Amino acid sequence: MLVCGRALAGLAGLVLGISVIAWSQDNVSPDAVLRHALQLHQSGDLTGAISEYRAYLNQVPDNAMARSNLGAALSRAGNYEDAIVEYKKALEQQPGNLPIRMNLALAYYKAAKIPPAATELEGVVADRPADRQPVLLLSDCYLRLGENRKAVDLLTPLQQQTPDDKALDYMLGTALIRDGQTARGELLVDRILRDGDSAEAHLLMGESKLSANDFAGALEEFQKALAIDPQLPSLNGYYGTALADTGDVPGAEAAFRKELAADPNDYVANFQLGKLLEGDGNYAESRRCFERALAQRPHDRGARYQLALVDLETGQAEQARAALESLVGENPQDVDAHVSLATAYYRLKRKQEGNKQRAIVLELNAARRASAPAGISK
Amino acid sequence: MRPALPALFFAPVVAMGSGDSVCAACHAQEASHFRPTPMSQALLLVDSCEILKTHPDLQFQEGPYHTQIKREGDRSIITVTNGAESFSVPILYALGQGKAGQTYVFQHDGAIYESRVSFYNETGGIDLTIGDQGTTPHTIVEAAGRRLVPAEAANCLGCHSNGAVAGGILHLDSVVPGVGCRSCHVQADKHAAAVRTGNVAAAKMPHLAELAAEETLELCGQCHRTWAQIAQSGMHGPNTVRFQPYRLTNSKCYDVEDQRIRCTTCHDPHGQIDTNLASYDAKCTACHSTALHTKVCSVAKENCATCHMPKIDLPGAHHKFTDHQIRVVKAGEPYPN
Repeated sequence: MLVCGRALAGLAGLVLGISVIAWSQDNVSPDAVLRHALQLHQSGDLTGAISEYRAYLNQVPDNAMARSNLGAALSRAGNYEDAIVEYKKALEQQPGNLPIRMNLALAYYKAAKIPPAATELEGVVADRPADRQPVLLLSDCYLRLGENRKAVDLLTPLQQQTPDDKALDYMLGTALIRDGQTARGELLVDRILRDGDSAEAHLLMGESKLSANDFAGALEEFQKALAIDPQLPSLNGYYGTALADTGDVPGAEAAFRKELAADPNDYVANFQLGKLLEGDGNYAESRRCFERALAQRPHDRGARYQLALVDLETGQAEQARAALESLVGENPQDVDAHVSLATAYYRLKRKQEGNKQRAIVLELNAARRASAPAGISK
Repeated sequence: MRPALPALFFAPVVAMGSGDSVCAACHAQEASHFRPTPMSQALLLVDSCEILKTHPDLQFQEGPYHTQIKREGDRSIITVTNGAESFSVPILYALGQGKAGQTYVFQHDGAIYESRVSFYNETGGIDLTIGDQGTTPHTIVEAAGRRLVPAEAANCLGCHSNGAVAGGILHLDSVVPGVGCRSCHVQADKHAAAVRTGNVAAAKMPHLAELAAEETLELCGQCHRTWAQIAQSGMHGPNTVRFQPYRLTNSKCYDVEDQRIRCTTCHDPHGQIDTNLASYDAKCTACHSTALHTKVCSVAKENCATCHMPKIDLPGAHHKFTDHQIRVVKAGEPYPN
C-alpha cells in the first residue's frame, strides 16, 4: 500500500542503523570476525557478512546485537525466513529491545506473515504509541487482516494530529469504508480529491460503491483509478471484483492475475480468483488461492468456507466436515455452513447428522421468514 | 486383457459440441426416446417454435405499456409501446416447450434479456413472467424484458441448451437447443473421443443409474435446483413448488442413501413424463405395503400421488405444479415450507 511503502522506506534506515553499531571492543579473535562482518555488511557484501556473522555467533552465541545484525543482513538478502529465526533468538536474549522487535515485525511483514507481524508491531506500538512508522505498518497489517475497526482506532488519533497527511487520509479512509463507516470515509476521499484527481481516491470510492452493491459505479471508479495509476496496490483486485460482478469473467480473471503478479499475497485477488477457479472446476489452483488468502487472514470465515467447499468437491469430506463444524460452532446462524455441513455428513455416510443439519437450516430459514415478508422470486 | 473397442464404422460427426448425433449413433434407443421430451425441447429456435407460429399476434397491456409479439416470416418480434416511445426487438430463443408456459430471451445492447411477458398454455396468451409480478418497469426496454447479468444468462441458457457455456461464459455461437446427452453425461465428449480411438479405459463413464438418492437429486438439481440452492437462497412459499429436488428432499420418506426415493424412481430421464398418476403407484407400494410391514394408506389403494403429491396453483404461473414434497395432506393446512 502507498503508506506502507513510505513506512518501509523509513524502516530500511532503521535496519542500516543497527548494522553500523560499532562492536569493536578489543582485538581478540571473535571481535575481529565481527568487525569484518560489519565491514562486509556496510559494503553490501551480504553473503560475506552473513558468513562472518555466523562464524562470530558460533563463538559468541549470546550477542543479541550481532544476531540482530545477522537478521538484518539476511533480510536485505531477501532471506526473511532465516532472518526471522535470528531476530527471534536475539529477542529471547533481549526481550525489551524494540528495534529488534520492529525488525522482526518487518521481516514477518516482508515474508507475508501478517498475523505474527501484527503481533510484534502491537508490542512496539504499545511501547511507542506516538511513533508514526510502526503505527502505519500495524494499520496496514490490520487492513490486510480485515480487522478494519482496529485500523480505524489506531489511525484516528494520528490523523487528528496530522490532518494534512494525504497518505494517512487514504489509509484511514480505506479502513473506514471497509468498516462500513462510509460517510466518514468519503469525507476523507473528498479531502484527498481537493488536491486534484487521485487514483487512491477513486479506489476508495470504488470500494465504497462495491460495498453498496453498485457494481457498475464501482467499475467506473476503478477504471478511473487505473487510468491514473495502473500500479496502485490492491487496485486490480478490486477492479477484477467489479468486473466479475458485472459479468466480465475473463476480464476479472486477468485483473486478479495482474494483481497477484505484483503481490502474490493480496487477499482480495486470491479470494476472488479462487472463487472463479472453483466455479470452473479448477480446484487445485482454487485451493492455492484460498490458502494464500487464509494465510493473510487466518480467521477469515469466507476463505475457510470456500476451502471447505473445495474439499467437498475434491472428495475430502472429512477435512470439509472439520472446517464446517468449526464454522457453525463459531456462528450457529450461518445457513450456508450448515447446508454444506449436511452435505459433508452425507458424503461421510453420517446420515442422521446430515439430516440434523438440514433440520437446523429449515429452522433458521423459518426464523428469518418471521421477520421478512414473503415474495415470489425467480 | 480386455478387447479394444471396435473402430466405429459410422462417419464421426464430431466436431465435439455438435449435439447428440454422435451419441445417437451408438445409443439410438435412448436418443430416440429423449428427442420428443420437454427437456430435449427446453430451448426452441424461433423459426420452428410451434407456439410462436400458431400464435402470430400475442398482445398484453400493463399500465401504460402495450406489448405485442408478432410473427414476421420466420421471426417473432417483441414490440413495446407506451404512446410516446416504442421498442422492438426480435426474439432470440423460446425457453420451454410450453406445457406450462414459455418465456423468451432477446439480445439488446450486448446483453441477454428475459422477456417480461411469457406465453401461458392455460390462457393461450401472454402475461407477466413469473417473478416479474410486483415489479415496475422504469424504461421502455425494462417493459420488454429484464437484463440478465452474464452469469445469470449463462446459468439460464446453460440449462435450457447444451454446449453454450464453457468456463462459466456463455457462447451463443455454440448453443445447441435443449437439454442434451452431455448435460447429464458430462464426460460424453471424452467418452466419444475414446470410443473412436478404441481406448477402452478412457471410454468408461460414470453409471448414473447407480447414483444414490442424494447424488441423483444433486445431478438433476443442477437445473431443477438442489435442496442446498433453495435453502441457501431462503426462498419459501408456493414458489418453491417449481423446484422438485428441493421439495422431494423435504419429504418425510426421503432418505439420502435409499435408491428407492430419487428422481429416477418415477421419471425416466430419457423418456416422456407419464401423466397417468396410477402408473406411479408401484413406486409407492415398493416401500409401503403390508407385506413389508410398513405404513400403508388407510384411505385408498391407488392413485397415491393424487392426495400425497397435491397440485399447487402457483399465483401468476397459470399452471398447477405437482408438489414433490410427498406427505399426508391435511385439509386447510398451509403450504409446508
